[in-house]
Amino acid sequence: MSTSAATGYASEEPTHAPPWHGLVVWDVFFNALTTGLFLTVAVGELTRPTAFAPVAAWAYPLALAFLLIDLLLLVLDLGDPLRFHHMLRVFKPSSPMSLGTWCLTLYSFPLAALAVTDVLGLLGAIPTDCSVHAVGRTVLTVVALPFAFGSMAYKGVLFSTSSQPGWRDARWLGAYHVASALALGSAALLGLAAVLGHDPAASLLRPAVAALVVVQGVPLLCLVRELQPELVRRYPRMQLWGGGVLVAGVGILIPLALLPVWSVGMVLFVSVGAWVTRHFVVMIPEA
Amino acid sequence: MAVRELELPAHPAGVDATPAPRGLFAKLLHRLTYPFRRGVRPAQQPPTGFYTDTTVCIGCKACEVACKQWNQLPADGFTFTGNSYDNTGALTGDTWRHVKFIEQFTTPEPVAPAPQRFPLEVVTAPVSQPPVDFGRWLMMSDVCKHCAAAPCQQACPTGSIVYTEFANVYIQPDICNGCAYCVAACPFGVITRSHFDGHSHKCTLCYDRQCDGLVPACAKACPTASIQFGPVSELRERAQNRVEQLKAKGVPAYLYGAEATETYTELHSFYLLTDRPEVYGLPADPVNPWLHMRGDYLRSALAGLVGLVALLLAFLLGG
Amino acid sequence: MPGLGTSFGRGAATNFTQDLANSDCILIMGSNMAEAHPVGFRWPMRAKGAGATLVHVDPRFSRTSALCDVFVGIRAGSDVAFLGGVVNYVLTQDKWFKEYVAAYTNAATIVEQGFEDAEDLDGLFSGYRPESGTYDPKGGHWAYAGSSGNEQKKSEPGQHGTHGYGLMGVAEAGDAPRTDPTLQHPRCVFQILKRHFARYTPEVVAEVCGCSPEEMVRVAELLCANSGRDRTSAIVYAVGWTQHTTGVQIIRTAGILQLLLGNVGRPGGGIMAMRGHSSIQGSTDVSTLYDTLPGYLPQPVAHADHESLQGYLDKEGMKTGYWSNFPEFVVSLLKAYYGPAATPDNEFGFGWLPRVDGDHSHLVTFDRMSRGGLTGFFLFGQNPAGGGMNAGLQRAALRNLDWLVVADWFETESAVFWKDDPNGPPAKDIKTEVFFIPAAGHVEKEGTLTNTQRLLQWHNKALDPPGEARSDAWFVYQLGKRLRALYAGSTDPKDAPLLNLTWDYEYDHPHTLPDGTVSRVAGEPDAGKVLQEINGYQTAEIDPRSGRPKLLPGFSALKADGSTACGCWVYSGVYPEPGRNRANRRERTPGNPVEPNWGFAWPHNRRVLYNRASADPEGRPWSERKKYIWWDDSQDRWVGPDEPDFEPGKAPSYRPPEGARGMAAIGGDQPFIMKTDGLGWLYAPKGAKDGPLPCHYEPLESPVRNLLYPQQASSPTVRTFAGPLNSVAQGPTDVFPLVAFTFRLTEHYLSGPMSRFNSWLNELMPEMFAEIGPELAAARGVANGDWVTVRSARGAIECRALVTPRIKALTVDGRAVHQVGLPFHWGFAGEVVGGNANDLTAIVAEANVSMHEGKVFACQLEAGRHGGNPPAATKIAVPWPTRDPVPDTPRSAQPEGGFAHGG
Ligand SMILES: Nc1nc2c(c(=O)[nH]1)N[C@H]1C(S)=C(S)[C@@H](COP(=O)(O)OP(=O)(O)OC[C@H]3O[C@@H](n4cnc5c(=O)[nH]c(N)nc54)[C@H](O)[C@@H]3O)O[C@H]1N2
Ligand SMILES: Nc1nc2c(c(=O)[nH]1)N[C@H]1C(S)=C(S)[C@@H](COP(=O)(O)OP(=O)(O)OC[C@H]3O[C@@H](n4cnc5c(=O)[nH]c(N)nc54)[C@H](O)[C@@H]3O)O[C@H]1N2
Ligand code: SF4
Ligand code: SF4
Ligand code: SF4
Ligand code: SF4
Ligand code: SF4
Ligand SMILES: [Mo]
Repeated sequence: MSTSAATGYASEEPTHAPPWHGLVVWDVFFNALTTGLFLTVAVGELTRPTAFAPVAAWAYPLALAFLLIDLLLLVLDLGDPLRFHHMLRVFKPSSPMSLGTWCLTLYSFPLAALAVTDVLGLLGAIPTDCSVHAVGRTVLTVVALPFAFGSMAYKGVLFSTSSQPGWRDARWLGAYHVASALALGSAALLGLAAVLGHDPAASLLRPAVAALVVVQGVPLLCLVRELQPELVRRYPRMQLWGGGVLVAGVGILIPLALLPVWSVGMVLFVSVGAWVTRHFVVMIPEA
Repeated sequence: MAVRELELPAHPAGVDATPAPRGLFAKLLHRLTYPFRRGVRPAQQPPTGFYTDTTVCIGCKACEVACKQWNQLPADGFTFTGNSYDNTGALTGDTWRHVKFIEQFTTPEPVAPAPQRFPLEVVTAPVSQPPVDFGRWLMMSDVCKHCAAAPCQQACPTGSIVYTEFANVYIQPDICNGCAYCVAACPFGVITRSHFDGHSHKCTLCYDRQCDGLVPACAKACPTASIQFGPVSELRERAQNRVEQLKAKGVPAYLYGAEATETYTELHSFYLLTDRPEVYGLPADPVNPWLHMRGDYLRSALAGLVGLVALLLAFLLGG
Repeated sequence: MPGLGTSFGRGAATNFTQDLANSDCILIMGSNMAEAHPVGFRWPMRAKGAGATLVHVDPRFSRTSALCDVFVGIRAGSDVAFLGGVVNYVLTQDKWFKEYVAAYTNAATIVEQGFEDAEDLDGLFSGYRPESGTYDPKGGHWAYAGSSGNEQKKSEPGQHGTHGYGLMGVAEAGDAPRTDPTLQHPRCVFQILKRHFARYTPEVVAEVCGCSPEEMVRVAELLCANSGRDRTSAIVYAVGWTQHTTGVQIIRTAGILQLLLGNVGRPGGGIMAMRGHSSIQGSTDVSTLYDTLPGYLPQPVAHADHESLQGYLDKEGMKTGYWSNFPEFVVSLLKAYYGPAATPDNEFGFGWLPRVDGDHSHLVTFDRMSRGGLTGFFLFGQNPAGGGMNAGLQRAALRNLDWLVVADWFETESAVFWKDDPNGPPAKDIKTEVFFIPAAGHVEKEGTLTNTQRLLQWHNKALDPPGEARSDAWFVYQLGKRLRALYAGSTDPKDAPLLNLTWDYEYDHPHTLPDGTVSRVAGEPDAGKVLQEINGYQTAEIDPRSGRPKLLPGFSALKADGSTACGCWVYSGVYPEPGRNRANRRERTPGNPVEPNWGFAWPHNRRVLYNRASADPEGRPWSERKKYIWWDDSQDRWVGPDEPDFEPGKAPSYRPPEGARGMAAIGGDQPFIMKTDGLGWLYAPKGAKDGPLPCHYEPLESPVRNLLYPQQASSPTVRTFAGPLNSVAQGPTDVFPLVAFTFRLTEHYLSGPMSRFNSWLNELMPEMFAEIGPELAAARGVANGDWVTVRSARGAIECRALVTPRIKALTVDGRAVHQVGLPFHWGFAGEVVGGNANDLTAIVAEANVSMHEGKVFACQLEAGRHGGNPPAATKIAVPWPTRDPVPDTPRSAQPEGGFAHGG
């Protein structure tokens, strides 16, 4: 109930928040997971095939699963999910959402093919040691790479290219999303390697994860600086402090400490940090 | 009777020709292929729009009702807000016109007594606008701004939002899939997604009426010509004259959105205001978010590059 | 509208709405024009655009105030004081329009010896009869001196209740009264006026009204500065003035002011009475009032004077002025009613007219009904259980009926009172049998509407009404036919009026709709034939073009010998020839803003009344800028853009010969032709039952004493209807210390049936609220949006508080007086429901027109809900939108961007 005041509507934000709700936090999170995981494993497989091939056979299907969850969330968040295919009527690079949809679509096909071959290979249904298999996989991986990166890069830009409070000032949101996705993806791969017991991959990954987890702090700091006014305006102090602890402590420091000792736990902590950051950012207009 | 303008052609031009598909398969096929069909682009016309002179708005909301009636839009619910006479609240997908009320009274007593006691000299006629001594009640009919370069249009991933031949921003209701990116993109909070059909809606600038040579319903209903419709260039000139006329009377009038700023294009629906834009719920300096898109992508790519280098270093140099 | 009638001669707005664009200053007072007449308000806005100053004087800062240049907040019910102050200012500052006043008003006329003013008698005029609460104008010597005017000629309306003359202000003034052109005689109207208003000084006015003296003076200065030869000011009022126990006198004060400033009969001047319902003007013209016949003829009363036609004509006719044609009007009306059965031998059926035997006005009738005095009732298009004064009493009255017929578009409070009144008795205890007749909408029937500016506009029928719905005309026509069939063959004299009625309005050809199809409705009367009868015709002459009686060109053709018939003389000329329905004309006249070919304005298509006054006594325009009607020597006639409201060939120099009768008695420089003396009346020797000059009286319920006439709190002639359901808290009391006043919102219509069943309007104003100022809110501990209970001597309602600085606390009589503004649009039937302001108002009757005081009463306001049963919506909101396409509409014409689309 607003009282009549000489300032009229000045205290109200003129924009409307998109009705994306909490689903989108999970969507952004899974987008980071699938693209980050795919990019790390693809780069790994392309540079050190022997070390990464066994993990990759599990990693691609996992990336596909993440992608499917992501796509499902995306479709569910539409006002009219039965019109999902309308996204493919046009290709509009001016719209990050259009670019993202095309990238996700084009990324999904080779990824699906890779995942299928991998699953079939794991089940022993097709031979995995022939050259056709290897060349095919390499071709699919190379084809998928740019689209995977596009799928990763559009996401933050989608938010920052808007008029919503906070988002519109978030010049580093895209960069943070990419850096964090790589950290998250590499961590997930490390976790997978650890679970599967593939030490060569794990040992190659450890320094990479450490570097990426640290590197993501740079765009994060920039982002927090940009968002500070809106964050402070919209969230209670306690929540912000709690968020800060989760993001920096649980999401960065603890994983660094756990990295040498407990990879699976490390993945969990990195995920929590990544999710919390995304939650705070995505929910700004509705907070 | 001067109702000629209500006469519709006996066979309106349109898409009626194709019969509705029958049968499940045909329906499915139709549904899948429908969005990919393309019509013929009509010939370009001079840009049209609105000039809204808020100083003559009487807050009658005839425009709101005319819009709902013409477009058969649903009521938004019956809530008493207590915010002056504004029980509509905001523009939404179901409310494409919204009249705002701003009560500006300096003290609880609207009338400040005149300085000296009982002066008897006659005011010379005609009497110019007296000082605002009792406060004011501002009213403004808000609508989609029909931005010359519209963020909502740039955002729309389905191509549902287009510019019509009148350079108006138009959401094709049969294309929109409710992604709501336009909602996020519009700096003026014009669009929302309707919970009735899950699609986004906003003022069409009465595209159908314009095609039939009619004035938009809201402008037609406005009793005081607060809403004026016409070719944008003409409107700008008219508005400029009015601003000068008001300024001569000492009214602090100015145009909002008639010209492009460094960060935003001109609005084809622009306003004559007498207070700061924020007071009317308008952003003081709207920014087209697309100004940042390239830079944001570059920073993302940079982050990707750094990450890639880190990966490559680790993998290539690692044991 | 006797306020205007007594001042100028006709009870109607003097100018037309579009003409407000020609004003240099517009005083809007007692009207919420922007909210209640938004479309008409474009004309004041146009004037403002051209440099005019708009002034609003009102208890609350409304949307109208927002658009005006000057706003003055006053206490509801203090209008006579405010305007009296302005009149006093004009007189004491010598700002009156000398030539105009001297020539066109009765300023110079001398009043009879023995008249005593309210100044001398503490707020009463001479002639007051305390036992009956009425005035005796004769005993009070109100009449002009030196004439036969002091003869008591009329059958005095008084308690008989007729107000036909009042409406048109045609009281006889007698012939050749004495005058003093120097205006110095102590008993001349001008001097009486000066003395009368002397006590209305700015300070006293400010004290009464709660404004500052400077504010009142500023309004006066603006009006003075914008009146005169070269400039004109207009006054706009509506029910903010009429719905008071002093309503007629408020309008009289405005009339005096406009005459003094020389603003009547001139473009951009005059008094615009903004009327309400569509065709409410029409319903006073072709009268629906119980005491007038069509054309403002008085309904005969049950009195020996009115026994015979001749007696009636002698008593009611006038010797001079246009009303000298009274016999022509009456006989032609009787011929229209009874056709061939009306003959000179039977006095044209005069004896068949019902006689009035008392006050049968709406409120009085409902008071009687509430006491069990009626058994049955027809209710066409009215909702007394919602919009009527003291609606609780009106519902109680309806519960006393045996049967009730409600013809309406919606199931209104008056139709569902027996089952949905949340605080009424259970349905089983109510004996009233209610018949609900679905009525056709306005687009489902044809006919004319007469608007505020007396303009008749024909509207066509667009489609047939749905289902069993029928037009009101159909219902009444068929009812008449059935009744006549029932009584056919009766020789009982009391059945003669019914059997002799002309009752034949069948369509000659099948009644077709605009799309060419034949109407499904059988038995609809032909509204065109009704309009022709109203226009009038020669009873004995057949027009070869139509094969029907020859139509009259206008009321000047009327005869008193039975050779003409005319259903309403003021409308005569609207249908002068077969196929020429002037109400249906929509021709623009480029270059002539009067647009004389758009519709038809009564009388005789005159748009500005008394427009002879737009020229000086010699017939020359007062100024080039305000040129309107003037005498053209070369053509020997009056010319101009409008129809002259004067005999077209009567030269300005014409002087009536001694003993002249009829129009011949009106001089060439006397513009007010309806008046016996051809002059505008500053002082009304007759016509107003509550005094020849206005006085400030407090509303019946007021928390303030009368500061101007301490002896006389409220109007001495007001009638009250005491009873347990209608108690009145007269005089200041602590129980009801607040001033409540009512107003309209643009978003709703009257008691709400036509708006509260419509979700597009309901969402704009969903709930009943009270507008209160921040000071009162603080004093009662109420926050904006909170529930509050408002109480009066009649009842209590709950609503939301809209706390706004637009309602200011006033200082009256040295203390703070708070006001509570209440819209009256809510009730218990509809899609949105809520507290009804009319559950708080009282039934009282002003002396002239039995008008209530719905605009102001005393109340109390408390925080919190009332506690009674809150009403529940009787109509479920339509789950808009339908997903289905609009029927009978091609897909490309479906609502654009609408919800019906989809791939
Ligand atoms: N939207 C809409 N339009 C309508 C109607 C409607 O219900 N809704 N009704 C129609 C009808 S039937 C009519 S009669 C007209 C009426 O039209 P208006 O008379 O213009 O309407 P109101 O708002 O009832 O009253 C006019 C003003 O009188 C003020 N007022 C109250 N008491 C006093 C007083 O003592 N002195 C003065 N000076 N002012 C006072 C109120 O604050 C209000 O601003 O409107 C017609 N038009
Ligand atoms: N407190 C307070 N009370 C007021 C007033 C005020 O200012 N203050 N204003 C007063 C005034 S000015 C007026 S005019 C009255 C009005 O009071 P009412 O005359 O009772 O007016 P409505 O409430 O509009 O009811 C009119 C009904 O007519 C129906 N109707 C409309 N058209 C037709 C038709 O063609 N045929 C039939 N059969 N029915 C039709 C509508 O559906 C509606 O139910 O209210 C008065 N009440
Ligand atoms: S105002 Fe908003 S909805 Fe309208 S065109 Fe501009 S960006 Fe689009
Ligand atoms: S919601 Fe509809 S109109 Fe808006 S961006 Fe998405 S597809 Fe386009
Ligand atoms: S132009 Fe048409 S759609 Fe737009 S606000 Fe006006 S009436 Fe509504
Ligand atoms: S119709 Fe015109 S005057 Fe009425 S609210 Fe709308 S813009 Fe204002
Ligand atoms: S409702 Fe009708 S009469 Fe009243 S202002 Fe609107 S158009 Fe005029
Ligand atoms: Mo009315």
